[in-house]
Amino acid sequence: MNAHAASPLRRSTLDVFCAMLLVAVFAAIFWLAPEEQTMGPVQRIMYVHVAVAWCGLLCSIATAGAGALYLWRRTLVSDHWAQAAAEWGFLCCGLTLATGSLWAHEAWGVWWTWEPRLTSMCVLWTINCGYLLVRANLDEPHRRARVAAVIAILGALDVPLVVMATRWFRGMHPESPSMEPAMLGVLALTAVGFTLFSVGIVARRRGQLERLSQLEIAEFEQPQ
Amino acid sequence: MAAFWWLLQKDLVTEFRARQSWPTMVLLGGVIAMVFGLQLDGLTETRQALAGTMLWIATFFAAMTGLDRSFALERQDGCWECLRSYPISSTTLYLAKFASQALALALLQVVLTPLFIVLCHVAWQAPWWATLLVAALGNVCLAAVGTMIGALTSGMKHSGGLLVAVALPLTVPVLLAAADATRLMSAGQCDSAWWRWTNLLAVFAAIYLSAGAVLFEFVVED
Repeated sequence: MNAHAASPLRRSTLDVFCAMLLVAVFAAIFWLAPEEQTMGPVQRIMYVHVAVAWCGLLCSIATAGAGALYLWRRTLVSDHWAQAAAEWGFLCCGLTLATGSLWAHEAWGVWWTWEPRLTSMCVLWTINCGYLLVRANLDEPHRRARVAAVIAILGALDVPLVVMATRWFRGMHPESPSMEPAMLGVLALTAVGFTLFSVGIVARRRGQLERLSQLEIAEFEQPQ
Repeated sequence: MAAFWWLLQKDLVTEFRARQSWPTMVLLGGVIAMVFGLQLDGLTETRQALAGTMLWIATFFAAMTGLDRSFALERQDGCWECLRSYPISSTTLYLAKFASQALALALLQVVLTPLFIVLCHVAWQAPWWATLLVAALGNVCLAAVGTMIGALTSGMKHSGGLLVAVALPLTVPVLLAAADATRLMSAGQCDSAWWRWTNLLAVFAAIYLSAGAVLFEFVVED
């Protein structure tokens, strides 16, 4: 029996906790957060946008970290964490671009603009695409883990560019926006909620990948 | 050090004798220059503004074609396995491969830059030292990432497509910085904005080259 495998009860508790957390976060966004005077209800996109962007960046760092850990320890568990984080990071970066596009349409009047932070986030998303594409083309688990780890470490170099984009280059994203305390509270709650939700999802996916890997090994070892 | 020179010499002699990668690169770069020049004929201002971008896009795609071909040939002839069995460090192997790719890119740009100036009717007002600096830094970045990803993807199914799919996002910041620096210097504006792009190129060159030297050990394992 694998020591890392979570019991069904623990898994379902984690699922319920994640679901309740998301409900609480969305309730706070729609009922607790005060309405912004200029943009109206559309401004509420910002809470989700910032939270998913944060999770996307965190996942890129986690993918690179787990990849580096694989290169050091050579255990496939690290690679499963890396893949799970990369898949969730891919989704979060995609959601960041989608919610950012909705925001841009309402705030700036265009669906897309080549603003430094948008551009660097788009680059990070394409790096994620490349990472997953390479993984899909390799069958041998250790070679896949090694190649993916190197790409993840190189790809994580884009994260500082995304974070510092508005400071290093002129852009339309605000450097440090001023907000009402209630808005800041909801933003912090959304960021924490989405982060915990992401940890839950990544842990769940990691478990799936581990079971899948055990199945692959069992099939491989079965006499023909 | 002797191993580095020996490996570099091997790559250069092989290319000089067989002429399998570099002519393809130069031909592809030339065709891209021709197509861009033709499309932008008559649009004087656009041509001047876009020449830098087009030059670096042509360099990138030509470089990737050359890299893919170069690694494929090494695999095909069994040379890659022989190289790995020699008692040389992976860092030396990486630096030698990087140096030969950087030389190939330098040759490519020696041909492509005048070609773009002539075909796109660009008034090139950049000082020679600025041209050399941006070309050298851009080439170091492209060769550092390209060598790394080329070695990673060689031997995979669809290696050519994967090489571009992975290397392009990684080099987008480099291509943007190099294109903007080229646009500014070709208009004779080697000002603070130009220095900022050049500094960014230098930072990326240092990071990618160091990362490549450290991580290549894991690339050449199998």
